[in-house]
Amino acid sequence: MAKFILRRLGASFLVLLGGSMLLFFLVTISGDPLADLRESNADNKEHLIRQRTEFMGLDTPWFQRYGVWLGGIAKCVTLSCDLGTNMNGTDVGSLLGNAAQSTLRLVVLATVLAIVIGVIVGIATAIRQYSGFDYVVTFLAFLFFSLPVFWAAVLLKEYGAIRFNDWIREPTFTLAQIAGTAIVLAVILQGVLGGSAKRRALTAGATLVFVVAAMSYFSATEWFRRPMLGIAFVLLVGLGAAVGATALFSGIRNRRVLYATLGTVAAGTASHLIVLPLLEKGGWGTIFGLLPVALLVSAAIGWFVGGYSRKPATVLSMSVAVIMGMLTIADVASRHWASLLGLKPRPISTIGSQTPNFAGGFWESFLDKGAQIILPTIVLTLISIASYTRYTRSSMLEVMNQDYIRTARSKGLSERVVIVKHGFRNALIPITTIVAFDFAGLIGGAVITEQVFGWKGMGELFRTGLDHVDPAPVMAFFLVTGTAAILMNLVADLAYAALDPRIRR
Amino acid sequence: MKIRKFAAPLALLASGALVLSACGTSEDPKPGASNTTTSPGGSAAPEGPGKADLGEISTKDDTISYTLGGEEWLGYNNNTPETYSTYNSVINDRLIGGFIYFGTDGSIHQDPEFGTFKLTSEEPMVVEYTLADNATWSDGTPIAYEDYLLDWAAQAMVDGKNDDGSDKPLFNHVGGLDFGGRVLEGPKGEVGGKTFSYEYKDPYPDYQLQVGGAFPSHIVAEQAGMTVEELVKAIQDKDIEKLRPAAKFWNEGWLSNTPGTLPDPAITPVSGPYKLKSWEAGQSVTLEANEKYFGTPAATKTLVYRFVSPDAQVQALANGDLNIIEPQAVVDTVAQVKALGDSVKTEAGQSLTWEHLDFNFNSGVFKDSLELREAFAMCVPRQQIVDNLVKPVDPEAVVMNAREVFPFQDNYADVVSAAYKGQYDQVDIEGAKAKIAAAGVETPVKVRIGYSAPNPRRTNEVALIKSSCDEAGFEITDVGNKDFFAKTLPNGDYEVALFAWAGSGQIVSGQNIYSSTGQQNYGGYKNETVDKAWETLGSTLDTAKQQEQVKIIEKELWDTLYGIPLFAHPGLVAYDATISNVRKTATQSTVAWNAEQWVRAS
Repeated sequence: MAKFILRRLGASFLVLLGGSMLLFFLVTISGDPLADLRESNADNKEHLIRQRTEFMGLDTPWFQRYGVWLGGIAKCVTLSCDLGTNMNGTDVGSLLGNAAQSTLRLVVLATVLAIVIGVIVGIATAIRQYSGFDYVVTFLAFLFFSLPVFWAAVLLKEYGAIRFNDWIREPTFTLAQIAGTAIVLAVILQGVLGGSAKRRALTAGATLVFVVAAMSYFSATEWFRRPMLGIAFVLLVGLGAAVGATALFSGIRNRRVLYATLGTVAAGTASHLIVLPLLEKGGWGTIFGLLPVALLVSAAIGWFVGGYSRKPATVLSMSVAVIMGMLTIADVASRHWASLLGLKPRPISTIGSQTPNFAGGFWESFLDKGAQIILPTIVLTLISIASYTRYTRSSMLEVMNQDYIRTARSKGLSERVVIVKHGFRNALIPITTIVAFDFAGLIGGAVITEQVFGWKGMGELFRTGLDHVDPAPVMAFFLVTGTAAILMNLVADLAYAALDPRIRR
Repeated sequence: MKIRKFAAPLALLASGALVLSACGTSEDPKPGASNTTTSPGGSAAPEGPGKADLGEISTKDDTISYTLGGEEWLGYNNNTPETYSTYNSVINDRLIGGFIYFGTDGSIHQDPEFGTFKLTSEEPMVVEYTLADNATWSDGTPIAYEDYLLDWAAQAMVDGKNDDGSDKPLFNHVGGLDFGGRVLEGPKGEVGGKTFSYEYKDPYPDYQLQVGGAFPSHIVAEQAGMTVEELVKAIQDKDIEKLRPAAKFWNEGWLSNTPGTLPDPAITPVSGPYKLKSWEAGQSVTLEANEKYFGTPAATKTLVYRFVSPDAQVQALANGDLNIIEPQAVVDTVAQVKALGDSVKTEAGQSLTWEHLDFNFNSGVFKDSLELREAFAMCVPRQQIVDNLVKPVDPEAVVMNAREVFPFQDNYADVVSAAYKGQYDQVDIEGAKAKIAAAGVETPVKVRIGYSAPNPRRTNEVALIKSSCDEAGFEITDVGNKDFFAKTLPNGDYEVALFAWAGSGQIVSGQNIYSSTGQQNYGGYKNETVDKAWETLGSTLDTAKQQEQVKIIEKELWDTLYGIPLFAHPGLVAYDATISNVRKTATQSTVAWNAEQWVRAS
């Protein structure tokens, strides 16, 4: 295994080296770095051209400049990388640092969401193949896939930011809005859940009543200005998660696991009260300090309650604990929404990753940054969700037609076990490759989204560099995306081995 | 945006604001004099091109956000070739005060709160500058002679020769060594003095632009490990070795190579109404009113300059993320901004960048044939170009009939009436046909029009010219390409070049374009009358005489058809309607030229 990894890395390194040389050459011949000066009518134009030629080394051949660049990179061995400077003399290393930071913030969340939602929806559509739900999802998937990013982003800014900010001043719903939303949700939900006509009608009816009641309540209390999730919400959603996770992964009849997860929910709800004042002051230290405590407690609950299903009980308990933690954070954050609105009456900006000189405390700026990330994340998620849904669906369908699935069914396994254990796990194998590739691609591929939302990310670094025929930023971009592609490929290979025992040897 | 950014890296000014003002005269500074009517509340209806007198101002604790584009801030010293750009100046001009600023029409104004200057002798030419007594850096050190001596030294000190035999500058100044060539011995004055004078080698009509703001010499001296007196002496002695550490600090110490890390406030004192407060890499630079400012205080305490690319600006304005924008003046943007309703005010107008068609005199059909050039000028539908392509943005746009003055400047009518008789106002196809016949060449006459592509407006201009001129017997080909300036123009593979000159800030800058040996005379135009008129213009300091020469030049350029001016580029400013004193300017100082006067109505 180690030999395999080393060989892969060695070959990748050579590819990276060759690629960097080719790219450097291509950038240097992609245009005229003096174009703007040639157009100038300054009377010291000659001086300016000479200065830039000297600064960028334009009077030396490209391979010599590549050598200088490579020399800087070689210093990485001693942990003092020198990525050179751009044409304005700015250090590319620090440009890259900032760019990578904002791109990762943007991409990681979007990718995770896209994978989770895409895979779930993909499986659901595969199970309900050729249902109305399947057709609607297929239609939407193709629609999102072909969305022009620029246009979608501009629309989203119009409705998600400008109109939302207008609305949040007096967050009420009209009767028509309530009715419309309720009907749409009812139709969707009965389509997803399916079943007999009677069951569908029941689902739709229940949804209708629930949505109308909830929206009327929110509207009447101006809940969206003073939201408050509260302990009841934490408890309810926690219970839902516990029961759902148990039902899905070990079957609701497995009482041991059910008791373990429910016990975790009880512990989480109890600790909610203790943790609230601690979290009030905020700080990532507190949050990440509490995480291992929660994990330890939940693991203990799973371990001791689990009995004959000790392993699934422990794992599911820990998962539920993480969900409870997130709910607690959501609860604390929601209590600060009103004070965010006081500091920033229009909470969602159309540009930037945060409000400049923001005055609020930890939770206000947590919400501020969170609000800024919503819109670009939606755009990125919508685009990549489409492909995940389609891939998962087809992969799942293929697996479900395999002989071993028929065998599993015929030996009397429940449908849940067939789908989750035998179907889903095998369907995951091809998806891993796509996820790995996609993540590497997304780091460099958010160019337009970054631009429209005013985030200075990797895409921007690449684009500006190329526009100015300025190799250093482009090479920095290549270094990161190239390395990411290679590493992700390696990760995909390793994940293969983990998922498919036949490969492990 | 590209044109603007690089249009005029002339950088004779620390203020970085450059405009063309062919016959700009500085107004006599009369402290306290006001050419505006003040109204209570600190806003005034501006009447002149200069800054309005707002009366007593107290800084309001408020924040205003604005942007020009997405380019990152580069540092305190924007006088190096690497950092000199409109995007840097828009921030740095708020930090560093200067003797002059440009009015909205490009006229030059003195800022008496900073200091005054006057021409004290013409033979030899001597200009005397006097700083305001209370003019100090924000660290308390008075602004004085030594700062301006250093400013001169940065453009004068020679450190050996380049490979090509030219002088190698010691300081990495964007202006090169031009100042040193004009003023051989530097300003005369004494350390700590508020008055100093420059003696020019030859009469230099653009002297007003030569001296503007300056950097703090006491910081440079301190960083170079010497006293101010030693620095002054080293400059006066032209002692390059002693100056080397000072030059090193000047060249590198004030550059911010790591975005997001503000320079140490101790080495970046300011002399303008604002100082740096914070910098978030890729997001924004925040300026805060300089409480030690000696002039009229800033009207608004905090200015946030955000880095926002043009695509995102209009929606950001609608959402209140930005309050003042100066987007690209294109039809779509105008429509979007108009759609925002009454909460946003817009101002469209002309700018000091102008579009023109230039003939190729080095080769091709127009080289020796005035008739053909006249025929071409007759068929170019200038009014139609303006009506179709410019008026949708700026309804007030007009065809431009001069080269050295702009339609919105006071002396435009005077110059045009002396130089141009209106012969090319209307398209005259028959006249053009007759001229082509008189030229005795075979039709169709093939004409390649080149420009730097992609540029949709220019593509449309060429299409309009083609549809009109092809009727007269020309055959127009659009040869616009991205290598136009690098290849097409130097190789002469064109008959007509279509591009724009940005106002260059100088009275004599046109000499480079129109005189026979001018560096920017790409077409190779040669005319003795024009050459002589430029010589005369360049050697007189009398504005009336300069004006006379401009008329001679313009007339000769029309009569012999150097080229055909088309229009001044439109500009657009949009801002939150609750903010007063936002004024569009034609110059490259951008809308932020009077940022210290912006204030939100309470």
